[in-house]
Amino acid sequence: MKLLHNEYLHLAVRLLIGGLFLYAGLPKIMDTMGFASSIYNYKLFSSLLIGLTAAFIPWVEVLAGLALVLGVKVRSAALIISLLLVVFVSLAAISAIRGLDIDCGCFSGVERKANWLAIYEDIALLGCSFFIFYLDQGIISPIALIKKINSPSKKDAIS
Amino acid sequence: MMDIPDIVANPILKSPRNQTRTVFSWTIIIKDCSWIVGLAILLGGVLNYTLLFDGIDGKLIAAIQQKQLTDLRQKAEQLYPGSSFINLVSSKKLYDDKLALFLDARTAPEYQSAHIYGAMSLPIRTLVQGDIQLDKVLPDKGALLITYCDGGECDIGLELAKELSERGYNNIFILGEGYPGWEAAGYPIEKAGMRQ
Repeated sequence: MKLLHNEYLHLAVRLLIGGLFLYAGLPKIMDTMGFASSIYNYKLFSSLLIGLTAAFIPWVEVLAGLALVLGVKVRSAALIISLLLVVFVSLAAISAIRGLDIDCGCFSGVERKANWLAIYEDIALLGCSFFIFYLDQGIISPIALIKKINSPSKKDAIS
Repeated sequence: MMDIPDIVANPILKSPRNQTRTVFSWTIIIKDCSWIVGLAILLGGVLNYTLLFDGIDGKLIAAIQQKQLTDLRQKAEQLYPGSSFINLVSSKKLYDDKLALFLDARTAPEYQSAHIYGAMSLPIRTLVQGDIQLDKVLPDKGALLITYCDGGECDIGLELAKELSERGYNNIFILGEGYPGWEAAGYPIEKAGMRQ
């Protein structure tokens, strides 16, 4: 149980999830139409919903991922990522049940089918995201480090 | 009277190890979530306004289908140079004149659930594995053949055309729009339990 409260473990999980969402979101921002095409392949959404999802979701992924990497608004970013993962798992499950042989559109340029393997992987990521949400305080982070360096006590000690 | 802990008033506390720890507060979490989502909406809206307008106008799906067809043609140039694509109108004319044989490259269950009326099931995987004796199924190597699959990013229609070409068939076209495009155009189809 002590391991669960280890701040370095928190940092590792946060960097993993944050980095993964940055890696997933940035190429989608570069190729929005490609992401829209992936959403269309699910054959579940209207033109309007495809447009809204393709325009906003990559930015949500990138900003939430960036927040986790930097260690700011950690719980909120983890909550957003958890909600996104719940949606991704649901979509992949619907596609797998319908027998669709499509790319999940999770990572641009990386072929990853919307199948049961993707669902299990996303559930594992969801577990990591909940872990961050409940336990991580963002104590070890670049922002915390900058704050520590700039804190008056430190400055006094240096002078 | 018991002292009220300071956490109610101040969400940031010092732990015994003299480290700053935030206190769980749904109000703060929801507020921060709103900031992240709001910023995403602002950036996404400003940078993708054309996509959003296309989505509202209902033009986005047609644009996506066009993009997928272009991508498939680019893929065909690499995978099967010299491949020929045929559009829906031309393929329908050949269909009406009974000049072409339509070949469904999808799996047998997919074919059984819905296919172009009169099309023959020729799953690419079964063909590659050697489970189909092609000479018996398609004896005329000069026959006009049109291969198709699920449209969009589906490329097994292209793979089937390539496979047939390598086996000596020389009059093959690919219907890039696939079964969904044919069905959307209102052309004859056959579904499990019904005929249209």
